[in-house]
Amino acid sequence: MPKCTINGKEVEVKDGQTIMEAFKKADEPIAHYCYHPGLSVAGVCRLCICDIEGNPRPQIACNTTVTEGMKVSTKSDKVKEGVKWVLDFHLINHPLDCPICDQAGECGLQEQYMAFGKYEPEMAEKKVKKHKVVDLGPTVVLDSERCILCSRCVRFTEEVSKTNELGIFNRGDRSEIGCVEGKSLDNKYSLNTVDICPVGALTSKDFRFKQRVWYLKDSDTVCNGCSTGCNVKVYFNKEGMFRVKPVHNEQVNGYWMCDEGRNIYQFANKENRFEKGIKKLGGASLETMLPGALAKELHQLVKSGKDQTAVVLTGQYTSEEYDSFIGTLSKEFGIKKVYHWNQNEKQMGDFDGLLIRGDKNPNTKGLLKVFEKHQIKTEWQDLEKSLESKSIKNLIVAGPENLSVFADMDSKLALFSKAENLIWLGAAKVEALTSDSGKVKNKNIFVIPLKSFVEKEGTFVNHSGLEQKFKKATTILHETLTLTEVAILFAGKNLTLPSAVEKPAFVESQRRSDQVQLEHRKKNEFVFKRGTL
Amino acid sequence: MSIVQNSAQKSKWYLPGVIGGLGITMKHLLKNLISKKSMQTINYPEEKYEYGPRFKGNHILTVKKDGSLRCTACMLCATNCPAECIKITASENPDPKVEKFPISYEIDILRCVFCGFCEEACPVDAIRLGPEWQTPGLSGSNFTYDINHLAYRPALKGGIQSHVDDEERHKEGI
Amino acid sequence: MEVKYLTEFYHLDEFRFLDGYKKHGGYVQLDKALKMQPQQIIDEVKASGLRGRGGAGFSTGMKWSFLPKNNEPRYLVCNADEGEPGTFKDRLMMERAPHQLIEGMIISSFAVGSKKSYIYVRGEYDFPIKVLEQAIEEAYKAGYLGKNILGSGFDHDMDVYRGAGAYICGEETGLISSLEGSKGQPKLKPPFPAVQGYLRKPTIVNNVETLAAVKYIIRDGAQGYRKYGTEKAAGTKLFSLSGNVKTPGNYEVPLGYPLMDLIMKEGGGMKPGRKLKAVIPGGSSAPVLTAEEVAKATLDYECLAGLGTMLGSGAVIVIDDSQCMVDMLGVLMHFYHHESCGQCTPCREGTGWLNKIVHSILEGRGRLQDIDLLIKVADNMKGRTICALSDAAALPVLSFVSKFRDEFEFYVREGRSKVRGNFYAQMHH
Repeated sequence: MPKCTINGKEVEVKDGQTIMEAFKKADEPIAHYCYHPGLSVAGVCRLCICDIEGNPRPQIACNTTVTEGMKVSTKSDKVKEGVKWVLDFHLINHPLDCPICDQAGECGLQEQYMAFGKYEPEMAEKKVKKHKVVDLGPTVVLDSERCILCSRCVRFTEEVSKTNELGIFNRGDRSEIGCVEGKSLDNKYSLNTVDICPVGALTSKDFRFKQRVWYLKDSDTVCNGCSTGCNVKVYFNKEGMFRVKPVHNEQVNGYWMCDEGRNIYQFANKENRFEKGIKKLGGASLETMLPGALAKELHQLVKSGKDQTAVVLTGQYTSEEYDSFIGTLSKEFGIKKVYHWNQNEKQMGDFDGLLIRGDKNPNTKGLLKVFEKHQIKTEWQDLEKSLESKSIKNLIVAGPENLSVFADMDSKLALFSKAENLIWLGAAKVEALTSDSGKVKNKNIFVIPLKSFVEKEGTFVNHSGLEQKFKKATTILHETLTLTEVAILFAGKNLTLPSAVEKPAFVESQRRSDQVQLEHRKKNEFVFKRGTL
Repeated sequence: MSIVQNSAQKSKWYLPGVIGGLGITMKHLLKNLISKKSMQTINYPEEKYEYGPRFKGNHILTVKKDGSLRCTACMLCATNCPAECIKITASENPDPKVEKFPISYEIDILRCVFCGFCEEACPVDAIRLGPEWQTPGLSGSNFTYDINHLAYRPALKGGIQSHVDDEERHKEGI
Repeated sequence: MEVKYLTEFYHLDEFRFLDGYKKHGGYVQLDKALKMQPQQIIDEVKASGLRGRGGAGFSTGMKWSFLPKNNEPRYLVCNADEGEPGTFKDRLMMERAPHQLIEGMIISSFAVGSKKSYIYVRGEYDFPIKVLEQAIEEAYKAGYLGKNILGSGFDHDMDVYRGAGAYICGEETGLISSLEGSKGQPKLKPPFPAVQGYLRKPTIVNNVETLAAVKYIIRDGAQGYRKYGTEKAAGTKLFSLSGNVKTPGNYEVPLGYPLMDLIMKEGGGMKPGRKLKAVIPGGSSAPVLTAEEVAKATLDYECLAGLGTMLGSGAVIVIDDSQCMVDMLGVLMHFYHHESCGQCTPCREGTGWLNKIVHSILEGRGRLQDIDLLIKVADNMKGRTICALSDAAALPVLSFVSKFRDEFEFYVREGRSKVRGNFYAQMHH
């Protein structure tokens, strides 16, 4: 465990770690592009130069191993000047595309130039022209002019996805990233190349031109695309969600996530959701109402037919919801007929070796745990039999959120049609329930819209049994409920809504330090004092 | 000193003031009768006042040589707008040299405060505040200006050309 | 005085073939070497003071001793990718005496314990490749290559690998990348090739002339080899003399030989009516020497380093007063811009930038601040990259601009060459 001094701070690093890692540990800023902790060292951007005591020439931090007592610094004029020039070398052929570049606002070049740049450009020659808007594959677009040839994407396809589609072609300042002949960037992890691209050379076709990044807020959550439970960041604003990016978690997903998981924002958006509670009685037409009111109305139905009520749960909800839903229903009504709808029983053990797993539910393990806790031992066949024999009148289904992974939707709906009353709880809009397609033949249909995974907090238990708590990211639809709330309303109780104003307003001690405030100075005279916003 | 004067004190001396005021009115009346040029007012709406060239009136979206919109949909104007009255929807242009362009550009002119920040933020001289200032309309929808109005309204006679030309820029190697 | 040590029989056509080579003492040293201990050979080479003839001038024996002491397979690679502008000595050695190289390589391979060696020849060398392939075939037939060479129990295979014509593949690690079949780009060091090279196995890369000289060290012993040259730079070296001299060509002289003598005696002096202006002593990437400095220079590593330049590959390019230095820098910058592999940013962008600046001066668009900008850009490219190509591009710029600044300033101010008098544009169209 060698100790070294980084800009005067003493840090201890593991054997064989590089100066770059020591810099990260000491939380000292150092410019870099090509270095990525999840990839091999390329050492080509030459930005991370630093002075090592006793070494006449500045060395690159990413490929120099820390030795005991090493004294490293980036404070000398020589290094600062060097970094400025290397940044200028990066920029001399970089086009003025910032207004139309999707990366603007989160761009490595912009950020590092602000921090370390030269500010006085001396380039007076013509820029090198390269290919723009190159279609690399189904998910990614390349702009060669913006590329700074850090080779992160190439190394990603070599080392992580192991698909080797990308390469650097040509020589010198004519070098360009491109696909190997006969191949296109088409693998299940291709969008990671967009994430690791420090500039706007690789952009995602899906996100391209949808939003400027400074309009987006982000929040950490857990991907509900499969049982791996990758840690992700969702980007949203008042118009909805726009994209998903991975967050580093060595235990779960490292630095990466799959392309499938990046689509999870879509089913949380308004257009794919039930917005209102829906009631369809007998042959009558649809009636929409507030979800809470509908749930409350159903209290009588569930209560009166509690012996003939069965519950179907998918693995798409949080452990807390399962616990309270099953707990409340069994306590209030004694309902023990809870069934697990597992749409991919056969592929449960599948794994592609990196991240993607066959079990497409984020919380199958959590559901089974709650089943165990409440001693529920049911078989799917029992449900089929009892539906066949009409011994079940009310069927409560907590349906899927991510419809695309439920291939057996139609067959299951046909099965559920055998119950008299179908109470469908779910976030995703299932057209068959509300249309007259005839796929769903229940006498009465009730639909209660639920919150999606970004609108609530809870726990997912992933394939390895790791419990991952996540917090609420945003609200997309205000009137929707969680399973917990539905259970309380079914039980005939009232929801205690958290009051909007928890603390009394206008209390001096609670004023934000940067709040705009009026200061009473003299009689009839007010002066605005503005804090930093 | 009290700001409000006691009206009772002044009431005695109102006559000189009134006469003086009438005098000024009469002076202008006579002047207007003799020479029409020195008139201080104009016959609006038959006559219209010419504002200075820097007047900030209704927005204009400039066009390129070929008549298409100069705007690249960078959203800097929308970001900079203090009244949040600009709404842009960007899309991909089939021409790779253009790449990004707005398929809808809407200004809610009732919210606009005519501050001119959009003009200042624009990196490509795509939006300007023009000389027009009369903005009548019969319904609320008339006050949401779309591309058609902003760039191609009849008053602009086929569009105002932008100073910034991409082709020239590419030729210069910038 | 030109000596005939390595080049003793180069004038004989029969020396190219096995029979002729054997007639003049060929493959005798191999037999002798195979009876020695490998360590003994390494010690002998170390004692001889032989230094790499490719450019860097690193001690060969030292390089060999960096190999890890284990039984991993290891490789010997002969660097015959003679790419440095002005150098043509390796071509001569391969054309005239292929067996001399092969014998040297087998001895070296035995010393470092390599069972497989490659000769990486640049793609343009069509004829040398043919000659080498033929010679290797002869050597296989005569039992100098293959299994159990001369009954010593030592197995060795040799292959010729043809490059595709890239300057950067003459760089040790770039050559290894190319040999591995990937793009010829230098690799990050550490690990050094002696630890992890070709196919991630320990690899020794040596120049043609270095490997050929090994045979002579075995023949004459370390002390015998030191007969020529200086204390720190032992032996003889082939110099490729080119440029404005009467008789350009390859000349073998002992190291430490005065540079002026090489030009005036071996090269036959300047062309009539011309004066010496400058000399590039070690291939195009070596900083240029002015006429005054040339008079002081001797051809060895230390003296040239003292003058701020280097011996390099031994390509002496003589420039007389009819040459415009701005033109010359234009040609050099075009070359380095074309040959930069594009891996490291300072070199990739810097070589292009330098090329553009020099050419804008040449086309009459130059500004006075461009001359300082050349120095600034070159200064910031120097020592900032994985390999030495960016240094190779930066050093000529620094020396040209600082030593012949008046010519550059004249070109910028007048828009024409001080020497030629006319425009670059007119020269080419």
